[in-house]
Amino acid sequence: MKLNIYLTGVGGQGLITFASVIGQAAVDSGLRVTVAETHGLSQRGGAVDVHVRIGEAHSPLIPMGGADVVVAFELIEALRALPYTNPGTVLIANRRLIPPPAFRGRLPKPEDVEAEIKGRVAWAHFINAYDYAVKLGNPIFENMVMLGALFALTRVRELISMDAVEGAIVKVIGKAVQENLKAFRLGYSVTSARL
Amino acid sequence: MMANCTVRFMLGNHAVAHAALEAGVAVAAGYPGTPSSEIIEYIFEHAGETGTYVEWSSNEKVAFEVAYGAALAGARALVSMKHVGLNVAMDPLMSSAYTGVRNSLLIITADDPGMWSSQNEQDNRWVGLHSRIPVFEPYNPQNAADLVKLSMDFSSRLNHPVIMRLVTRVSHVREPVKVCGFGKPIFASGYVKDPAHHALVPANARLLKGELVKRWEEVKALVEDLPHEYVDDGSTLIITSGVAYRYVKEALEDLEVKASILNLVSPVPVPRKLIANAASKADKVIVVEEGDPVVEFQVKEALFDEGVRVPVYGKAEGLFTMVGELTLINVEEGIAKVLGVDTGRVVNHQQAVNAPPRPPVFCPGCPHAASFYELKIATAMARVKPVFSGDIGCYSLGINPPFNEQDLLTNMGSSIGLGMGVLRGTGGRQFIVAVIGDSTFFHAGLPALVDAVYNKAPMLIVVLDNRYTAMTGGQPSPTQVIDIGAVARAIGVKHVYTVDPFNVNEAKEVLRDAIEKVKGGELAVVVMRRACALEAVRGRGALVVKYTVDADACRACGICYNLLACPAITRLNNGKAAIDQAACVGCSVCAQVCPYGAIKPLGEPSGWLSKWGEL
Repeated sequence: MKLNIYLTGVGGQGLITFASVIGQAAVDSGLRVTVAETHGLSQRGGAVDVHVRIGEAHSPLIPMGGADVVVAFELIEALRALPYTNPGTVLIANRRLIPPPAFRGRLPKPEDVEAEIKGRVAWAHFINAYDYAVKLGNPIFENMVMLGALFALTRVRELISMDAVEGAIVKVIGKAVQENLKAFRLGYSVTSARL
Repeated sequence: MMANCTVRFMLGNHAVAHAALEAGVAVAAGYPGTPSSEIIEYIFEHAGETGTYVEWSSNEKVAFEVAYGAALAGARALVSMKHVGLNVAMDPLMSSAYTGVRNSLLIITADDPGMWSSQNEQDNRWVGLHSRIPVFEPYNPQNAADLVKLSMDFSSRLNHPVIMRLVTRVSHVREPVKVCGFGKPIFASGYVKDPAHHALVPANARLLKGELVKRWEEVKALVEDLPHEYVDDGSTLIITSGVAYRYVKEALEDLEVKASILNLVSPVPVPRKLIANAASKADKVIVVEEGDPVVEFQVKEALFDEGVRVPVYGKAEGLFTMVGELTLINVEEGIAKVLGVDTGRVVNHQQAVNAPPRPPVFCPGCPHAASFYELKIATAMARVKPVFSGDIGCYSLGINPPFNEQDLLTNMGSSIGLGMGVLRGTGGRQFIVAVIGDSTFFHAGLPALVDAVYNKAPMLIVVLDNRYTAMTGGQPSPTQVIDIGAVARAIGVKHVYTVDPFNVNEAKEVLRDAIEKVKGGELAVVVMRRACALEAVRGRGALVVKYTVDADACRACGICYNLLACPAITRLNNGKAAIDQAACVGCSVCAQVCPYGAIKPLGEPSGWLSKWGEL
């Protein structure tokens, strides 16, 4: 068994926390897991990616074309992640486009991004995680809404129980625990309801 | 002793630090640098529990000497830095091989293949060959923890330093690691004088070189018995070191081919006998390693000397990439080529809608952005066309538009030295502005400033003092204790200014005044002092008074979003500006540059700005 989850987004969106929660939950569920991160200068508003591999994987990095699941916290970064997908990939994208601050050219339109993604992967899901997080009081909860969507949409749920994830949220995040749990549950329920 | 052990999901660097504390490290020193910084940070978090002495040093050379001196006294010591930091520490490092140590000295270098956060991707395993210090290389966090303990014991057994080479994909990988209780730190009871071994005057050094050569033979013999991992499975032998081991294991599974694997704990020196034995059973040898062909060269030498005639393939033959990190696909392709099989991989890169680039940018409210804006305006108003000699830090991002104020940028502290070189090389015709951060100033800028005073270099030195070593995660900086302006004055700089870049007009005037002094043939130092926005907001978010754009007053001139390039300011379709309230941290700079007074605070801003100014 091997499950490759490729995370992509913009520095500051909480990808490392997201990955740490899955990783901790996987360890608590007796699974092998490896998480490879981007640190340092690249975080400053730049593109970031995190490789999460659950099960019998050796390489710390997911190969191009090798992602079973892509979780994109932003639409442009979802586009950039497409070389990691294959026709069977499940792609979950936050329906939020953050314009690169210094970019002077023409930005792709969100609907064109969505069409491109749908043409490339069998299962594409778009989640208004930012809006839900704002409703919960802070955009910072966006990552936990996305985590809920991941559990609603993929076989991660067969490997890691909801209880294990909630336990990991408490363990890893430690602060604003109730709000983070709420965001996770909200992401799960609104996404499940759509299926 | 192994009681209270648990499995914890942790970062590679944290696993390294935890293992060092388990092994009784008494003195730990380092200088921040990606991907190494979390090692010393973790020791700081736990030093109170063990009594370990830990410090962020002013640079890697000093960090090295602190750990080296402790180990000469007989304490268990480690020093940690990024790969290029080891260049700064090379002087004491070479000596440490001659003197050896009492107890153990673990030298940790975190290399950055792929240059994710670095100016080069040098492979520090070469340093081991150069200095005759053995290099141990782990492949994952658990292995890193194991090898920390092993290398400290190895070091104290031989009274010789050991280098541990980490890479980004070990340091910044999170995996389950078995951790146990911390050990009692091993301090020396006192320093026993031994100048014959610790004072490298030529007469002593000549004798010690002979001892070093002998000790290196001992090292070569002992590395044969390290826990190298060997899987005997077929006539192809793949020799690996470090993270390459992981790629090879998966590549063999994906390719569905068999091969024997020998993973080396010590890429320097390699266990020659073990390699010769394994290779004598093989019909071909493939060497896979992250970085340069350091193991490959030694393997070829060993097999030649031992008379084992078998073809050896690796990076030197162009089988794997010599530029950037290894990837699973790259490793698979190399192995497949030698074995004459197909990887069967089809990767579809065809894309109709492409992603625009998203390079890192200054954070909202970054004082560097304000400083670069003011420097640009001030130099333009003074009608000088400077060469901006840049340096290493967040402010390296000043290389990007709209600033374009980092023309040279090569190594820590280079701004002042290279600036002087350009000045001298152009016969004094070129106007030089050196831009350097506070931590970098203390790291390697100080000797260069001394040189600028001593040799009378007319140039402008701008110190961007944001109170932290910000780029690597906000570690403390000597500027929190030592005033940079006072240092410059004490060294003998006549024209020293300190100004807050958040006072835009005052900062521009100060810079203009300093430029005039330089035009007059003098050296001027301007310290632009305002704390890093990330550090200011941390834990103080509730105090922030944000700014907003009055759409009626905005005339769509674009000065704020075009010249400051604050990520919190966006250009609306009608050309007017808007401020993202979630991103704004209330620095007030955009409000000051707006010629129409269209940007206004949502409350009384002075309280927040003065609180920020206290840092």
